[in-house]
Amino acid sequence: MNFILQSRMKLKEVDRTAMQAWSPAQNHPIYLATGTSAQQLDATFSTSASLEIFELDLSDPSLDMKSCATFSSSHRYHKLIWGPHKMDSKGNISGVLIAGGENGNIILYDPSKIITGDKEVVIAQNDKHTGPVRALDVNIFQTNLVASGANESEIYIWDLNNFATPMTPGAKTQPPEDISCIAWNRQVQHILASASPSGRATVWDLRKNEPIIKVSDHSNRMHCSGLAWHPDVATQMVLASEDDRLPVVQMWDLRFASSPLRVLENHARGILAIAWSMADPELLLSCGKDAKILCSNPNTGEVLYELPTNTQWCFDIQWCPRNPAVLSAASFDGRISIYSIMGGSTDGLRQKQVDKLSSSFGNLDPFGTGQPLPPLQIPQQTTPHSIVLPLKKPPKWIRRPVGASFSFGGKLVTFANVRTQPQPGAEQQPQPHHVFISQVVTEKEFLCRSDQLQQAVQSQGFVSYCQKKIEASQTEFEKHVWSFLKVNFEDDSRGKYLELLGYRKEDLGKKLIKEEKQESEFLPAAGETFNISISGDIDGLITQALLTGNFESAVDLCLHDNRMADAIILAIAGGQELLARTQKKYFAKSQSKITRLITAVVMRNWKEIVESCDLKNWREALAAVLTYAKPDEFSALCDLLGTRLESEGDSLLQTQACLCYICAGNVEKLVACWTKAQDGSSPLSLQDLIEKVVILRKAVQLTQATDANTVGVLLAEKMSQYASLLAAQGSIAAALAFLPESTNQPNIVQLRDRLCRAQGDPVPGQQESPRAPYERHHVSKGRPGPVAGHAQMPRAPAQQYYPHGENPPPPGFVMHGNVSPNVAAAPLPTSPGHMHTQVPPYPQPQRPQNGWNDPPALNRGPKKKKMPENFTPPVPITSPIMNPLGDPQSQMLQQPPAPVPLSSHASFPQPHLAGGQPFRGIQQPLSQPGMPPSFSKPNIEGAPGAPIGNTMQHVQSLPTEKITKKPIPDEHLILKTTFEDLIQRCLSSATDPQTKRKLDDASKRLEFLYDKLREQTLSPTIINGLHNIARSIETRNYSEGLTIHTHIVSTSNFSETSAFMPVLKVVLTQANKLGV
Amino acid sequence: MVSVINTVDTSHEDMIHDAQMDYYGTRLATCSSDRSVKIFDVRNGGQILVADLRGHEGPVWQVAWAHPMYGNILASCSYDRKVIIWKEENGTWEKTHEHTGHDSSVNSVCWAPHDYGLILACGSSDGAISLLTYTGLGQWEVKKINNAHTIGCNAVSWAPAVVPGSLIDQPSGQKPNYIKKFASGGCDNLIKLWKEEEDGQWKEEQKLEAHSDWVRDVAWAPSIGLPTSTIASCSQDGRVFIWTCDDASGNTWSPKLLHKFNDVVWHVSWSITANILAVSGGDNKVTLWKESVDGQWVCISDVNKGQGPVSTSVTEGQQNEQ
Repeated sequence: MNFILQSRMKLKEVDRTAMQAWSPAQNHPIYLATGTSAQQLDATFSTSASLEIFELDLSDPSLDMKSCATFSSSHRYHKLIWGPHKMDSKGNISGVLIAGGENGNIILYDPSKIITGDKEVVIAQNDKHTGPVRALDVNIFQTNLVASGANESEIYIWDLNNFATPMTPGAKTQPPEDISCIAWNRQVQHILASASPSGRATVWDLRKNEPIIKVSDHSNRMHCSGLAWHPDVATQMVLASEDDRLPVVQMWDLRFASSPLRVLENHARGILAIAWSMADPELLLSCGKDAKILCSNPNTGEVLYELPTNTQWCFDIQWCPRNPAVLSAASFDGRISIYSIMGGSTDGLRQKQVDKLSSSFGNLDPFGTGQPLPPLQIPQQTTPHSIVLPLKKPPKWIRRPVGASFSFGGKLVTFANVRTQPQPGAEQQPQPHHVFISQVVTEKEFLCRSDQLQQAVQSQGFVSYCQKKIEASQTEFEKHVWSFLKVNFEDDSRGKYLELLGYRKEDLGKKLIKEEKQESEFLPAAGETFNISISGDIDGLITQALLTGNFESAVDLCLHDNRMADAIILAIAGGQELLARTQKKYFAKSQSKITRLITAVVMRNWKEIVESCDLKNWREALAAVLTYAKPDEFSALCDLLGTRLESEGDSLLQTQACLCYICAGNVEKLVACWTKAQDGSSPLSLQDLIEKVVILRKAVQLTQATDANTVGVLLAEKMSQYASLLAAQGSIAAALAFLPESTNQPNIVQLRDRLCRAQGDPVPGQQESPRAPYERHHVSKGRPGPVAGHAQMPRAPAQQYYPHGENPPPPGFVMHGNVSPNVAAAPLPTSPGHMHTQVPPYPQPQRPQNGWNDPPALNRGPKKKKMPENFTPPVPITSPIMNPLGDPQSQMLQQPPAPVPLSSHASFPQPHLAGGQPFRGIQQPLSQPGMPPSFSKPNIEGAPGAPIGNTMQHVQSLPTEKITKKPIPDEHLILKTTFEDLIQRCLSSATDPQTKRKLDDASKRLEFLYDKLREQTLSPTIINGLHNIARSIETRNYSEGLTIHTHIVSTSNFSETSAFMPVLKVVLTQANKLGV
Repeated sequence: MVSVINTVDTSHEDMIHDAQMDYYGTRLATCSSDRSVKIFDVRNGGQILVADLRGHEGPVWQVAWAHPMYGNILASCSYDRKVIIWKEENGTWEKTHEHTGHDSSVNSVCWAPHDYGLILACGSSDGAISLLTYTGLGQWEVKKINNAHTIGCNAVSWAPAVVPGSLIDQPSGQKPNYIKKFASGGCDNLIKLWKEEEDGQWKEEQKLEAHSDWVRDVAWAPSIGLPTSTIASCSQDGRVFIWTCDDASGNTWSPKLLHKFNDVVWHVSWSITANILAVSGGDNKVTLWKESVDGQWVCISDVNKGQGPVSTSVTEGQQNEQ
């Protein structure tokens, strides 16, 4: 037994002296049937016979074939074939095994029954033939037709559907001879060929029922052992000779049947079997008594391959019909071997014996690396490590004829090689080998809409764009969104927003005017005399107070007498502080339904409305904000409302949050909210979002001086997604236009680079632009060694080449190595081999003009002209009662005409503003302090809490600390929590409303303290004192707290503490009283 | 619409087996049975032959462009059992490395995601897969997976670089914990998924079994930020499967039959946005497929000589859905 010289290409082996038949091509998995050979006795000289079926399991690396079934047969076989008759397309029924026996019998077996172990496996049997049946073949066009050949020139055609009576192809040839081979033509279904050891081959036409041609070279030395038709060419066939004196394969063409077309003389001794590959007509296997298995090209005669076999002869050889690279060979040493024609696996150790030995050592090959235990190697194994070369020419089945691959920018690269039938004699026409580069566009509507958007941006035709969108809107919500967006580009945007929400200023105004008129009728005439009461009743007391200038007392008296209007009017005369106190008292007393609204309006506490309104009233809340909110808080309030809608509302309200964000001009939140509500994955829904975002951003850029060029993370992600989609549809330029500019996100920077280059603008003389948004890695050439270039290169650490993420590609375009001649030429202090060059960021020569994200640069001023031209003077805040206490903003607005600080308006240079008085509204004296509102201006809009309207557009650039309050330093946070906690406790135990109001008030006033804490403007002494108070509160020692309080007040600067210390005292006192 | 924007006459003298554009879509590399590899500059509809690379001694099956951060690098594999890595240096293309570690035809080459460095996977008819890693200064380290596919490996395709467990980019400066994976298909009818272990060894992670004949090609879909991994496979059996895996561990893959063709399917290729699959069949037909909203794969185009209409039924379906 010679294991050592086994081929590496051997896949499997079975120790049987047997005839073999592969399962038909349709069959999956692949089976090999073996039937005990009638010609040879095996080593045991046993006369028993069997039919076995093995499965070819290539995922099992061992050499063993998996035996599926064994059937003990009473026959030995001269020929075994497996036909696909009655096999369905799925290969479920495993066809028919057809066996040629020793005594003129043909037996049909059902392989599926053999596999299932059924006893009744014989379908039919017929012993009509004389002598051993050595030749069998199935017609590939009509798989129910089987041809058989035996002694006495007997040839039968069997119909498997009617097996009892065979047909004959014509009269028997004379003289009678054995039929050794039989084969159906591969192209013409009614042509059959037979051959005999005498060397003659006969071609039969079944339609004519006679032999049509006899093929013989008249040498009398052809001893036909094999016959095969050309798989593709109908008139060609090969004959193999078993005679050692003429060990040849003859290629015949029936059109020139006088002599063989070609003779293959590659074997030294007689050929025992041949097999022509159905998968590649250039592959013909032959095995002979010289113990060789050769694969030749019968069309040229060239030997393509010699299978390294052992010294035994093979008497049967078969291609696997299903797996074209697999063949099986049966040898006289009692073995069937399965080979691959493709050059084998690399390990020469896949032998059964070794496997068997190693199996004793457990799992030797846990990772399937095919490396069993090295110690088991037998010394000889290592010696002949000759490389088994694969076939000289690649088999047809691995030559890919067609391909289509996508590439960047929605391009598809395709090629297809036209199939040619190699006709003998006919020169093959040279074909053009073309590759097509195509543009694939699948999202037409998406592109169309994107185009419209771009046009709108370029032509600045936002209003008409929005209008079109409004008209095309399919849903009410969509219509709203576009209406809101449109308003951004119109005058009096706030007013328009209000209208959209269902509140028309004019309507209200008319009503108001009407009422005012009615009121004015009751006003006393100016010159009329009046009576000053000096009685002892409350009127008298008020008179006294007034006459002594004691407004405070007068107000108190009025309040006491529930003369609210009088009280307020007097308080106005008495100054701001008095007015504020009076307002509080009024609100404390008044309990009507809209008190809270009025409170909010008067106290300018919009936050209260936004934070605590019923979400069903979001429109009203938004309207209030639109009407009243100051520019610096407007956005934040809209935001806040949006956030509430988004987080607390139902799904319907959540989408409405988008409207709030549009008002707020908050692009990032709009993106987030929209994305949450919509399925953003499809191109059109992304388009839906991007349209809105782009328009909103444009609006923000036009109306606000904020740096609208900054792009949030989420927006950047969406925009780059959008750009990718555009690029995937081939719109590279559009993709570039939409890609955010001012971002350092590596993926966007990389996409930009890719897009720029994909545009294909040639850079003259620069094959390789040095600019890329990632580190370049130099790959040096070839083998190591003293190559000139390498020798002088300083050794750079390997990780320079392989960042593996430690050095994520920076957006700064750091380059490694001398990739570009331009860069290399630059004088550099670093090593010549591995320089780190900072290349300036990507220039943007291709940047489209008027890109959606162009920064609102100063030189774009003229575009903004539109706004000031149609500028409505902001309505002044006309009433002092509108002023929240201590609000520096409004105080500033209260100031008499003064030059507006340039810094606040720097981004609105005067020359760009038409009309010459763009800030009139702000610069104007808003009202005379101390004057009742109705006198300040006969304008209905001068009503309390006058709407501010479009002023937001211009004062947006004012400092906006209000919105972004600093946090209270951690160490002082305890003060806030302690005081607030105390107030809460007091509130919960306080019973009378008066106390509650006091506490509420205190709670608000303490904000001043918290603000001071935020600003860190309090002196350490006060801070320490406050902490001491807090500690005493914790221990509920309020009297101690009060003592400390007194100490602080007496030792500190009054102005520093006056805003909050009195309230703190109130709280402490209350706490003490309530004993909480 | 699929419309030809450039017809490149390659002047190859025999069958073309592969044609690939570079990262930017400005250069075309082709390879042929005439043993040559050609590079064309195809910017702006042009077709300037940049290089005619000779070095293989057999038909060249595939070409693959490396990411441009490593320079202009192209790998090719051939029936001559060799893999050649070509590089442009000062405008001239030259052989920079030759890998001769296979005993049979090398059928497929694929570069790993650039995040991993310069790594090339090669699948061969000798059943092995080799992994070439550039270690600097002209050195390539070779790792080999023997017996990956009995009778031969036909295709290799890398998984996109995704950090497991996090769909969002990790903070910069932190080393991402990539898990390297690739898929291979072979003559054992199997698709196998390979994973690099912590010790740097490659281990078979999954066997995907659905094809009943040779797997001709596998293509791991580009990541588009979704948690699902997708692989397309095509086979001699005429079938194209779409394999998806939703679970985080990456172990449960389910196949969905895209279509059963009447002939061998040679090649599958995903669009960059991973929503269209191009399928190339043995009947020389190229078809484009897209997944509809209800998860069915629909043929949207028949491409013939680079041209074809695109049916919009899929898109319309999506609209109705919204």
